[in-house]
Amino acid sequence: MSFLDTKPGVPLLESDDLVRHYDVNRGFGKPGATVKALDGVSFTLEAQKTLAVVGESGCGKSTLGRQLTLIEQPSSGELKINGNKVGNLSDKEAKQFRRTVQMIFQNPYGSLNPRKKVGQILAEPVLLNMENLGRKEREERVRATMAKVGLRPEFYQRYPHMFSGGQRQRIAIARALILEPKVIVADEPVSALDVSVQAQVLNLMMDLQKEMNVAYVFISHDLSVVRHIADDVMVMYLGRVAEKGPTEEIFAKPLHPYTRALLASAPKIDPTQRVKSEPLTGELPSPINPPSGCAFHKRCPFATEECAKVRPELRNFEGREVACHRVEEIA
Amino acid sequence: MALLEVKNLTVEFGSEDKPFRAVDSVSYSVDRGEVLGIVGESGSGKSVSSLAVMGLIDFPGRVTADALTFDGQDLLRMPSKRRRQITGKDIAMIFQDPMSALNPCFTVEAQIMEALKVHEGGNKKQRRERTLDLLDQVGIPDPKSRMTAYPHQLSGGMSQRIVIAMAIACNPRLLIADEPTTALDVTIQAQIIDLLLKLQEDSDMGLLLITHDLALVSEAANRIQVMYAGQLFESGPADSIFAAPRHPYTQALLEALPERSEGHDRLRTIPGVVPGQYDRPAGCLLAPRCRYANESCVNARPEVSDFNGRDVRCFYPLNDQGQPTGLPTGETV
Repeated sequence: MSFLDTKPGVPLLESDDLVRHYDVNRGFGKPGATVKALDGVSFTLEAQKTLAVVGESGCGKSTLGRQLTLIEQPSSGELKINGNKVGNLSDKEAKQFRRTVQMIFQNPYGSLNPRKKVGQILAEPVLLNMENLGRKEREERVRATMAKVGLRPEFYQRYPHMFSGGQRQRIAIARALILEPKVIVADEPVSALDVSVQAQVLNLMMDLQKEMNVAYVFISHDLSVVRHIADDVMVMYLGRVAEKGPTEEIFAKPLHPYTRALLASAPKIDPTQRVKSEPLTGELPSPINPPSGCAFHKRCPFATEECAKVRPELRNFEGREVACHRVEEIA
Repeated sequence: MALLEVKNLTVEFGSEDKPFRAVDSVSYSVDRGEVLGIVGESGSGKSVSSLAVMGLIDFPGRVTADALTFDGQDLLRMPSKRRRQITGKDIAMIFQDPMSALNPCFTVEAQIMEALKVHEGGNKKQRRERTLDLLDQVGIPDPKSRMTAYPHQLSGGMSQRIVIAMAIACNPRLLIADEPTTALDVTIQAQIIDLLLKLQEDSDMGLLLITHDLALVSEAANRIQVMYAGQLFESGPADSIFAAPRHPYTQALLEALPERSEGHDRLRTIPGVVPGQYDRPAGCLLAPRCRYANESCVNARPEVSDFNGRDVRCFYPLNDQGQPTGLPTGETV
């Protein structure tokens, strides 16, 4: 039995206290330091669902994406697929795992090789992972995937520079889909696109989810997009989870002060939906030297002495998980 | 008299006989103490039109206009020496990417003081004091120690504050902000926009806010212009333009926003992309993407006309129900 077989009651992808630290050199004569890019993140992702990861830049969302796709090995913690620990996989199984978890990168201008034609770009994953396919079958598969994402067959022989941003992102989506993965990690897939094209790409992603039964880990900083596409939301702050729960509940009633601030900062087009609140002061602290206690306490309007000393752990509150000491009073 | 008056501004690139019009007869005006928002997708000419106002379009670009006046002075026909005295002092600009707008080789202090030296004069001590004031004004914590910092030592939000400090150093009367927050996080974006609006209010500046973020302009601007492929498509007061769009493009842009469609439904999209240099349609530039387009849209270009107090470039402007008006009889959509 392969580790890729789904078992009833076991989530498709599970992250258990995932940690990724980077050792950095701070210059001659100075002691080295550790950047805690990811500091204990746990979540579960069910098949065919979308989990959104939200936060400011520097909060570790992209680092999380890199751990999930095995681009990097986590410093500690476990990643499980269908209940099987990924750390225990043999090389051959790890290759299969990578095939199951694919990635779409943020910038479609940087993620496509300018020297290769679209056909070659899309054929490469097939070439590497499905050795038993002949040339004819490979090309067929590429063309079928291109049709699926709305790329015209004549694009097969074209180079990436001949496409607009939206079409390039379609190529990137096709490349992620061609191996029929179960999970796609999409790192800010629409942030480089215009509003009208963003809608096209989001629609495509939702259609493909239904058609191909993939689950998304959707990394984004755009809250309105997240609200539209995600089933669950995980708000991150400085490498840790601040709040996690079903999308509708989080948007209807954000519990963590940081989630509230994020929602209030986003401009709203509808005057009736505008929340007038004090904008969050200050910036994300450095992950080399995070504040003591709750990492958010220096920017938090509700912070007390306890917040500066004790780090709040993630705990259940009203069916959601929140890392805040004062959630009962704030809610 | 308006502070900045732009009439039929056209910017062309390429050969004389087959020019590419990046900006096509755009007119607008900005008053003292007013915030004008210009929205549009990339390639709609919003940045190029503001660069033209600043006089930053170099050869081979050609700028023509019926009128381009600042405070009654004709910017296009004045000697370039005189124009340089105005730009940078009375008209200042904030660029999109704060990381690349600052020179990595000089300290923050040196860069702000340069603008002061050129336009205000004074001795070094006065300039340094003014710089310190400016940094304080734009909300930089511990301005004294930041004076000697290099751009790479600053975060994105901090760099943008420095760029703003540079822009307001000579007390400009018009500030052009070209996508000032696109490179920043939402929380920092809110801080920067609040800062800009506060500075604008305090000194009664005119502010030209260029962005692709519809929600942002609708919150910040008094009046809004919607641009598409170099043309002005619709302009009007901020509160009414998004409540009842008159141009099909404005309507479609709003419908494409995820917050306008509830639940997990499909978003309404605008098919296709903004036409580029070589595929501009002969008729209305939106015709291939417009859901209401008919034969006359494909063949002829509409002009800007007044419709219910709004400037709209469309043959069939939309009514309050969002339905096109003036369609030939017998045609429905």
